[in-house]
Amino acid sequence: MAEILKVSNVTKHFGGLTAVNGVSLSINEGETVGLMGPNGAGKTTLVNMICGSYPVDSGKIEFLGKDITKLPPWKRCKLGICRTYQIPRPFPELTTLASVCVSALYGKDRPNRSFEDAMTEATHYLEFVGLFAKRNVLARDLTLFEMRGLELARALATQPKLIFVDEVMAGLNPVEAEKAVRLIGSAKEQFGVTVLWIEHVMAVLMRAAERVIVLHYGEKIAEGPPKEVANNPMVIESYLGRS
Amino acid sequence: MIYVGILIVVPLLVYLISFIWPPAINLLTRVIEANLLAAIAIPLALMTISTGRMNFGPQFYIGIGGYAAALLSIHFHVPPGLTMVAAALGGVIFGFIMSPMAIISGGLYYSLLTLLFPLLFLEATYIFTDLFKGDTGLSGVAPLVSTGNFSLNLLSYAFISLTIMLVYLFAMDKIFRSRYAIQMAAVNDDEEVANSIGVNVNKVKMIGFTIAATLVAVVGWFYAHYYQAFSGQIFLPLSFMLKIFMVTMLGGRTQIYGCVIGGYFIAFLEMILIRLTGDMSPVLFPIILLILLLVLPEGLFGLYRKRKYREYMPTLRFRR
Repeated sequence: MAEILKVSNVTKHFGGLTAVNGVSLSINEGETVGLMGPNGAGKTTLVNMICGSYPVDSGKIEFLGKDITKLPPWKRCKLGICRTYQIPRPFPELTTLASVCVSALYGKDRPNRSFEDAMTEATHYLEFVGLFAKRNVLARDLTLFEMRGLELARALATQPKLIFVDEVMAGLNPVEAEKAVRLIGSAKEQFGVTVLWIEHVMAVLMRAAERVIVLHYGEKIAEGPPKEVANNPMVIESYLGRS
Repeated sequence: MIYVGILIVVPLLVYLISFIWPPAINLLTRVIEANLLAAIAIPLALMTISTGRMNFGPQFYIGIGGYAAALLSIHFHVPPGLTMVAAALGGVIFGFIMSPMAIISGGLYYSLLTLLFPLLFLEATYIFTDLFKGDTGLSGVAPLVSTGNFSLNLLSYAFISLTIMLVYLFAMDKIFRSRYAIQMAAVNDDEEVANSIGVNVNKVKMIGFTIAATLVAVVGWFYAHYYQAFSGQIFLPLSFMLKIFMVTMLGGRTQIYGCVIGGYFIAFLEMILIRLTGDMSPVLFPIILLILLLVLPEGLFGLYRKRKYREYMPTLRFRR
């Protein structure tokens, strides 16, 4: 499998606090990689740096062999990187159809893309996440689960190669969580995306991820197959503390 | 189209009534004022949506357009057609130079910055009094229309101002129904998310800001030729900004059709207050408007929208 993302020694400071310290990782095409760690481990900061929301203090980020360290987020999106948010951030004043249409219009460049084409394509993504019936509902009027579905549809409509799913389970009940897991699995199959899944819930990553990376205090402490990582003493210590 | 018809019929009706009752012709000045207030508020709606921020100093661009037209007309005898091009060019240049403000600042800082520029411009007109003629302003600007008949002149100005307003209204309506509106709406809602899904947020902001500044500058051009004079002391202070702000808020923020309702409401309310309360009107005017804003937080257009879907962008026509 070809390498799709390569992060080399990236560091991010917020004043005196080092949120991410010299983290390196690589993701291969078609993989589902889990990124886990306790609160404040630096998972979201790392994703923010890869997506371009935060500038990198030092280090290098390469996507499909191209250095994207200095690229703005919208250019990274056009290359094929997209994300969902830990706390859903829908466009509250837009309908769900219009929200997804923005991605279809301005995501990855498609030849001769018209507004009508984008609308048609947007309905397809809404159908996929089960929100077609709510296509004319304002995003702010959706439930939490529906908002997460909308975020996934919005991200998929940009036609990404790599998608970051940030703590999709947060706030969902077990039935909704199960649906969300299936939805992401199905997105991977249908759209051929590579997934970097940030998650607190270990059980989910054990099932869904092929490889897990663990961060603690901004540093990478473990990487490997889920079962191996779950038994890693450093990982257990980071989650449960030292006895 | 029926509403456009009403807007066209009103000046004609006032003109005809003035044959029977001559003082009625003064109502045309209110119609012109209403059209111009709406013509300032409509581009301001575009600026607000595309930048996701409220600009508190649109009168700066009225100053740019007005002074550009007045200076060229007085000193170089440039005809009004060309002064309009110069005013628009001034709007483009200054709008483009100022537009990064919407990128580097936000919230209170953006509001304060935009509020500050017209006041700085006003100060500059006092400092460079040889050029701008400070307090008195520039007079002797060539008129747009000169029929030799006062009433007919006013009627012509009413129709020119109405044309400007309607052109702005239909142009904005077209923009707000296009693919560009959807990215502006996304920027307005959450610019970080918009950026992450491929929208070049800075470009959207700069283009929206510059277009709006240009359109407002053209209104400044009209003011200069309509009054045949232009003084920063009338258009640049906070009192004029308050009027525009009230048109925007009463009409319904970001509602282009609401701007027209707001413009007419404010122009005629001001006239009624001056007639009824005289010297007290400058105090009563903002108080009444503040009360109206409290009662109607979504503006006058909000009353209509409450019965319809609560989407502030004009409903998209595409339904598949």
